[in-house]
Amino acid sequence: MAKVAREMVEKAGVNVDQLLELLVKNAAAELTTYYYYTILRVNLIGLEGEGIKEIAEAARIEDRNHFEALVPRIYELGGKLPEDMKVFHDMSACPPASLPKDPTDIKAMLTVLVEAERCAVRGYTQICNMTAGKDHRTYDLSLAILNEEIQHESWFSEFLGEGPSGHFMRRGETSPFVRKFLE
Amino acid sequence: MRRFTKKELAQYNGKDGAPAFIAYEGKVYDVSRSFLWQDGQHQVLHTAGVDLTASLDQAPHGADLLQRVPVIGMLDED
Repeated sequence: MAKVAREMVEKAGVNVDQLLELLVKNAAAELTTYYYYTILRVNLIGLEGEGIKEIAEAARIEDRNHFEALVPRIYELGGKLPEDMKVFHDMSACPPASLPKDPTDIKAMLTVLVEAERCAVRGYTQICNMTAGKDHRTYDLSLAILNEEIQHESWFSEFLGEGPSGHFMRRGETSPFVRKFLE
Repeated sequence: MRRFTKKELAQYNGKDGAPAFIAYEGKVYDVSRSFLWQDGQHQVLHTAGVDLTASLDQAPHGADLLQRVPVIGMLDED
């Protein structure tokens, strides 16, 4: 634990225990989403699915990166991950992004993806609001993740016909915002 | 539709197997089956069994998400 770092956050008026619970729940959401995105990705096949597979893969890898980036901050602040993976799954900040009943329904699959991203956008907005001007490191990390989650939402929203995202697929490396937190 | 006082609503806090109900702008919603309201807790900061009308202004989502859960009653004013 980074004792002084935690003290500074407490002194700034943040309820660190509440913040830690939110960070753990969002870390759970990232890891479970990574798992479910793997299942979704392997079902993105055929003429419709193939075009979405690559962008779903970018979101999948970046959600895993979010999990990796969150874990050190949780331990710095004196928190920890549950020992039981099932407990971790069930405490996720977002509902599991499971495969739709008809796994060939690409639109239903995109709806699952965009719902998961929207839940994440809400979650990191909340953490940013809690930490802005108070816990600079958690804010910086949450903002970096939020930037990527907003892009993910835009990508899938565009495929659903909700309007253009205004940007393009990743070219090369993933996690342009979160990369600096990955060790 | 069933009417609730705030005292009655407080019994439905999702703890120890109790159903989880919340109120918003006079309507009472059953969130017991929502993944996001397990054990009557929502995103660490909110608990079931209370009127969340004021809290929703601070939340990172709008009242539209409440359309996903059933309305089961009305909350009486004090």
